[in-house]
Amino acid sequence: MNFKTKLSSLLPPLLPLILGMALAEIAVRSGWVPSYLIPAPSEVIRSLIDDRVELAVAASTTLSSALAGLLLSFTTGTLLAIALSASDLARRAFYPYAVFFQTVPIISIAPLLVIWFGFGQPTVIASAAIVSVFPIIASTLLGLKSTEPALIDLFALYSASARQMLLMLKMPFALPQIFSGLRIASGLAVVGAIVGEFIGGGGLGSVVDSARTQQRIDRVFAAVLISALLGAVLVGAVNLISALTLGSWHTSERKAS
Amino acid sequence: MKIILGFVLILFSTVAAWDAQATQLQFALNWKAEPEFGGFYTAKLSGSFQKRNLDVEITEGGAGTPVVQMVANSKVRFGIAAADEVVISQARGTDVVALFAVYQINPQGIMVHPERGFKSLGDVFNSPGTLAIQSGSPPALFLQKQFPGYNVTFVPYAGGIATFLTDPNFSQQCFVTSEPLIARRKGKPAQSFLIADAGFKPYGTVVIARRQYVAKNQKQTRDLIDAVREGWIEYLRAPEPANNTMVKLNPAMDAVSMKEAAEVQKSFILGAGAPAQELGKMTMERWSTLVNQLYDLKLIKTKPVADKLFENF
Amino acid sequence: MNSSSYSDQSKSGAAVRCEGISRAFAGTGLVLDRITFQIEPGEFVALLGPSGSGKSSLLRLTAGLDRADAGRLVIEAEQGTVSRGFVFQEATLIPWRNVLRNTTLPLELQGWEMERAKARAQEELRRVRLMEFAARYPHELSGGMKMRTSVARALITRPNLLLLDEPFAALDEPTRHALQQQLREIWAVLGMTVLFVTHSISEAVFLANRIIVLSPRPARILLDGSIQLTETRTAALRTSFSYVEEVRRIATVVPTPEQET
Repeated sequence: MNFKTKLSSLLPPLLPLILGMALAEIAVRSGWVPSYLIPAPSEVIRSLIDDRVELAVAASTTLSSALAGLLLSFTTGTLLAIALSASDLARRAFYPYAVFFQTVPIISIAPLLVIWFGFGQPTVIASAAIVSVFPIIASTLLGLKSTEPALIDLFALYSASARQMLLMLKMPFALPQIFSGLRIASGLAVVGAIVGEFIGGGGLGSVVDSARTQQRIDRVFAAVLISALLGAVLVGAVNLISALTLGSWHTSERKAS
Repeated sequence: MKIILGFVLILFSTVAAWDAQATQLQFALNWKAEPEFGGFYTAKLSGSFQKRNLDVEITEGGAGTPVVQMVANSKVRFGIAAADEVVISQARGTDVVALFAVYQINPQGIMVHPERGFKSLGDVFNSPGTLAIQSGSPPALFLQKQFPGYNVTFVPYAGGIATFLTDPNFSQQCFVTSEPLIARRKGKPAQSFLIADAGFKPYGTVVIARRQYVAKNQKQTRDLIDAVREGWIEYLRAPEPANNTMVKLNPAMDAVSMKEAAEVQKSFILGAGAPAQELGKMTMERWSTLVNQLYDLKLIKTKPVADKLFENF
Repeated sequence: MNSSSYSDQSKSGAAVRCEGISRAFAGTGLVLDRITFQIEPGEFVALLGPSGSGKSSLLRLTAGLDRADAGRLVIEAEQGTVSRGFVFQEATLIPWRNVLRNTTLPLELQGWEMERAKARAQEELRRVRLMEFAARYPHELSGGMKMRTSVARALITRPNLLLLDEPFAALDEPTRHALQQQLREIWAVLGMTVLFVTHSISEAVFLANRIIVLSPRPARILLDGSIQLTETRTAALRTSFSYVEEVRRIATVVPTPEQET
């Protein structure tokens, strides 16, 4: 892409951001909007720069917890989905409980997590895993169902074992859906980690908690921005892995059908 | 005919409700109903507000309720905050002012398991274990500065005593008049240390309002504070009616604990034995000290003028 | 096409004995009504009928992918065990495998060593004249090429019973004609029993030497007989008098859409 095309694709999304920040800056500086409601963007930027070391350390803690939680939810979720897809009865019996993980408000069970796992990273990782597991289960189940029936017939014709069917046919066919679920789960894992940190301590969650106590709304915004960035990084990583793994056959298949 | 009557009735009740709203004052607490707020409930129950034509609605709060912001935003007219919150808010340009202090001696403390054998706050900080304290709060920062080589692990304070009851190496912040009593009733007696003894002693549990509102509503504010004072005097004499109400609102504390707490907190409220009419009044010296302490802790970058922080009524 | 180098095994087919086969499905009702026929080893049989007549169901029963509700279906090989190949209506290739690996799939499932499987696959790809495209992926192939891959895959286990379910229906006419010719030549060389499902009379007459015509649902056999054409199948045959006559003869038996209830 030449420079002109790159510019024309970057500029439109940037304009509202620049405009919005300028308006916010003016509104707060002039006193029209009180500073305890929203901080001036310049204050947030200053906070990002001043506290960059502390924010970086906190961000890496939160990121590692979110990643660990995501790994946990990915393994458990995938295995669970494979088990549930094998038996219709099992699926009907256990799927409603999986939905529970989607609907339980993490902020209310977080104190329970502390009692079970103690303060610190174990609780944070547990929180991240609980919040992110359902999208993985749901999308993996859907993906495993999306194999072409004719190919299942083909495998059955040659008396393929259940293991062969799963590894050689169903799992690769399920990959697009699995990555889709992973994308959603990675954003949720960051949220879960931060909520866990409110109760369990550490990371960006404790930065937000402490900043809130001190009424440093600029620091709160700075931490929130960084956590949004973490989510974006994780989703970007999933996209990269997805692109590398699926290769051209997937999108071409999509175009062909 | 019926339709017209119905319409008039609706109109009438709407106007009446509107009228009631006009004088209904929201009073936001920053925690659940406890003897810490007993006097306010007594003022309502015994009619102190009512006889001054004040319709006050008291709402409970919890961990993290932003009372200062709610008052500054005029979402509520009056609220309860910590004295240091008033100083920090003013330093940031939020103009709220303190009107009445429940505690002359601040009952903020650290509660520990007696089996740990701690003799002082220094022991608590320099020994291993976990300490749950609101991170970034002035008492936390003050103590961390006083015991710099601390050994204990700080964890977030989420309210309640659930972890204290189950973990023998766990200590936490508390009001010495409240949580240790609940813990003892639940089978885990606690030992507590007063943070004021370490040198950090702001007023405790102050009533706040927007300065502009107070300026425009001097009579109403005076009436309200008079009623509050009346309520507290009455609560100190006879806490049962208010306690009965509060027990129904707050299941975390039982009636016996409330009775004990009301008794234990008397000396914190009266302080050095001030006369009844001086109940709740504050001095400039105490506020000045607080400002300097918060400045030294780098919680504020400018020092608000001490006599702008409070108004005695 | 040099046939002698590929016939390193004697011609071997399977016999199919179908007695009173019935099959019903929930919602659609009775699809096959007491179907009875016998196919001898090495026969090329066309199974003809209108859409929804159950011919695909019958094929799936023969493939062992479904069980009949009543009746007996016995398949016996002349030599060795019964081995089936199936060519679906859509090529149904695995998108992330290239042509060679798609072809080796049945052998992989049966535990063959990859090197041996690849060697065998190359033989089959040569047979269907797809060798230059062995490294291509399905999304890079035309419909005809995908179908030829599917045929190579079906042949790789040297089946004695080859089942095809309207495989050429979605292709354009020139490709269809070319593949029909190729299939006939392959059958001439390998000699397995072929059961070919189609709704096209001209295709049935061109390919098969025996034809079974099914009625609309619930299907019964309307005709079971040989195709009266002894000539070698060539492109020229399609316009010959004997071919057209045979097509017309069969057409009188096959119910037209107005006759269907």
